Amino acid sequence: MTSRALPAIRHYGIAAVTVALFVLLAATTDGFLSQANFRNILDQQSALLIAASFATITMIAGGFDISAASVFVVAPLFALQVENATGNAALAAVVGVVVGLVVGIANGLVVTALKVNSFIATLATSFMVFGIGFLVSDRSVLRAATDAYPAIARTRWLGITTGAWIAAGVVAAAWLLLSRTRFGRHVYASGGNAEAARLAGVPVARVKTICFALSGAAAGLAGVVSSSRSLSALPSDDFSFVFGVIAAVVVGGTSIAGGEGAVWRTIVGAFFIALMINGFNLHQVDPIWQRVIQGAVILGAVSIDAWTQRREH
Amino acid sequence: MTSAEALVSVRSASKRFGATDALSDVSVEFHAGLVHGLVGENGAGKSTLAGVVLGIHAPDSGEVCLDGSPLRLDSPADGAAHGLVGVAQELSLLPAMSVADNVVLGTEEHIGPFVKRRANRARVEALIAEHGLEVPIDARVGSLPVADQQKVEILRALGRRSRLMVLDEPTARLASHEALELRRTVRELAARGVAVVYVSHFLDEVLSVSDTVTVMRDGRVVRTGPASAETHESLVEGMTGRSIGDVFPAKPPAPAPDAPVVLRVDGLCSARVDARVIDFSDVSFSIRAGEIVGLVGLVGAGRSEVAHTVYGAARADAGSVHLHGDHLAGSITDALSAGVSLIPESRRQQGLIAQRSVRDNTTLPHLADFAGRLGIRTRPEDRAAAAACDRVGVRRPNLTAPVATLSGGNQQKVLFARAVMGQPRLLIADEPTRGVDVGSKRSIYETVNEMADTGCAVLMVSSELEEVIGTCHRVLVMRRGRIVAEFAGDEIVEADLLAAAFGKGARSTSEAGDQE
Repeated sequence: MTSRALPAIRHYGIAAVTVALFVLLAATTDGFLSQANFRNILDQQSALLIAASFATITMIAGGFDISAASVFVVAPLFALQVENATGNAALAAVVGVVVGLVVGIANGLVVTALKVNSFIATLATSFMVFGIGFLVSDRSVLRAATDAYPAIARTRWLGITTGAWIAAGVVAAAWLLLSRTRFGRHVYASGGNAEAARLAGVPVARVKTICFALSGAAAGLAGVVSSSRSLSALPSDDFSFVFGVIAAVVVGGTSIAGGEGAVWRTIVGAFFIALMINGFNLHQVDPIWQRVIQGAVILGAVSIDAWTQRREH
Repeated sequence: MTSAEALVSVRSASKRFGATDALSDVSVEFHAGLVHGLVGENGAGKSTLAGVVLGIHAPDSGEVCLDGSPLRLDSPADGAAHGLVGVAQELSLLPAMSVADNVVLGTEEHIGPFVKRRANRARVEALIAEHGLEVPIDARVGSLPVADQQKVEILRALGRRSRLMVLDEPTARLASHEALELRRTVRELAARGVAVVYVSHFLDEVLSVSDTVTVMRDGRVVRTGPASAETHESLVEGMTGRSIGDVFPAKPPAPAPDAPVVLRVDGLCSARVDARVIDFSDVSFSIRAGEIVGLVGLVGAGRSEVAHTVYGAARADAGSVHLHGDHLAGSITDALSAGVSLIPESRRQQGLIAQRSVRDNTTLPHLADFAGRLGIRTRPEDRAAAAACDRVGVRRPNLTAPVATLSGGNQQKVLFARAVMGQPRLLIADEPTRGVDVGSKRSIYETVNEMADTGCAVLMVSSELEEVIGTCHRVLVMRRGRIVAEFAGDEIVEADLLAAAFGKGARSTSEAGDQE
């Protein structure tokens, strides 16, 4: 039947749909085709892109990292405490990333050494990290004390914020790592068939641990960028950030089952969702309906994924 | 053949999938009480034909008749309602449920929402008694050996009053004695009036169990006739359309007695799984350069476990492995860098990354060879992968095609391409031709011979005695975790291998089955 068309649809479908959405918005919506609007979208997406590009790699390796939300919330609290104490914004940023890295390594070890399901393991560590966030901030909002900290993500360079530049750099790094390197091949192999990968000499446990470590560090960096944009950070136990990350990964077409996917897919998925929301806002769609529609779109994407997989086997 | 009317007849059925004619103008009759063997290479149309009879595929033209009247089947459930049932290659049982629960699944007797446990149990007991298929009725299905699981599948089919049963590769995952037992079951089914369609790659098995055999090639029926009129050779000839006198190429000459010892295994014992279970113990043997050594035994005798331990994929409690005199520390990375390659037993579960390309699968253990400053240098990688695939004869649309889209034989060859690429000094091939068609088999044996010719030592683990006899210089027989016999050259004879594998004087399969 359409056995030949299906892989193609599956392969580039999300890109085509995103381009179509772009054209549709450009044709119908005043104020969409403006530099200010695009710059705004780019800036708003920077934190999500940073975390999602490495979350993609973890998911391809067969892991599911729910702890990105807690790291995103708590890493900037550590960073701002350091900044408030020392006035050193660069050191603060590094601390934020290291907090994420440490949580990520812990996740990786729990998942690979204790063989706990990664969704459950990272859910559990999430609660711990959220709790630590309240401790380290003494339950209050932390604000940047210097001008250097906000400058991390808010400085403009060639018309674009440094937050967006950082995102671009992280995305490029993740992309190269996954598609060009030996490690990337090992990621696909570990997620596609862990036993076959092991017998082919792939250090599966190490690969997975590194994936969790990197996605933790990326979530930490995302938190720093986000708090730098908003000048402050606030302790909470809000999981919503990671759901945005997973939505971007999955809508892009990376398989939840592991072994399949790409960083470019996540970028496209993120922009698809961002354009959709941008369109809703410009058309002044009720935010409550926005959620309903957004949920339906994610459901649609995952259903198509499940359907095409069924057809292939 | 009986003169009675056929239970199911397929009349001029054709079926296309995309550009390929899976079936063209196929007519076959299946009779109640007879076992009907169906043989052919991969892609010959056996499964499609079975699918048409079971209602899985609707024929594009032609028809299926039941008791002489045309039948329209829209789904496997339709087929089952008419008593046409398939027992799949992959078992479809619920491992966590009991035998009884599995047999009655979906047809439980009940009052309202409540299941009548005792009535259901009685029904299963009656089925077991009626057909003589002994299975422990309360055992969890997951804890049973595969042969018993297969019986549960068959019981389930019988419980639905099946009139025709399709068995697709029923013995592919069984040990030899279990396979023998299954053949008896099949004969009993036929004796009770069931029409059995028996699809298998094992030609001798088909010959011994069938009354009638249909040979298929390229979607067509080559011929249908009594099994007694066929021989192994005549079937191969019919399936391949050419007379290959032998599936096995000539063995390379046995290595000289002073050829260097490549592999030496001394007193190897597996790590204990728990207090009672030991996979194998005190295993010692050596292999010289250019020598092909077979390792045979029943399933559970410890063959694959030895192979995995030598490769470093499983831990040993005692003993040592030396390669060219160097001690192997017992990790996969060590083994790989010392020049050991493993072709694992199950290419789907242990060998290939199905979604990834032919190239990625071929080069996976060798990526360090292509490391550049900016990641993997793909041009030399492509070239090396293509060369390795060409050397073992992988037929592929291109290097970037997902390996899952290749035929079984070509998938297996990809594993050999992967091994060849590492220029191994020791090749461990576990069931190297399982589920592979006759043409690919020969080319795989040629690859193995070529590697031996260049001085590679080969350890071949196999359940197909024919294969071991046809390819090995020397054969080690394992029983219950120990090497119990060794045969070389002309001493490698099927009867002796079987006797050693089953234990002395226990040649009859039922006794051996009890011993296990």
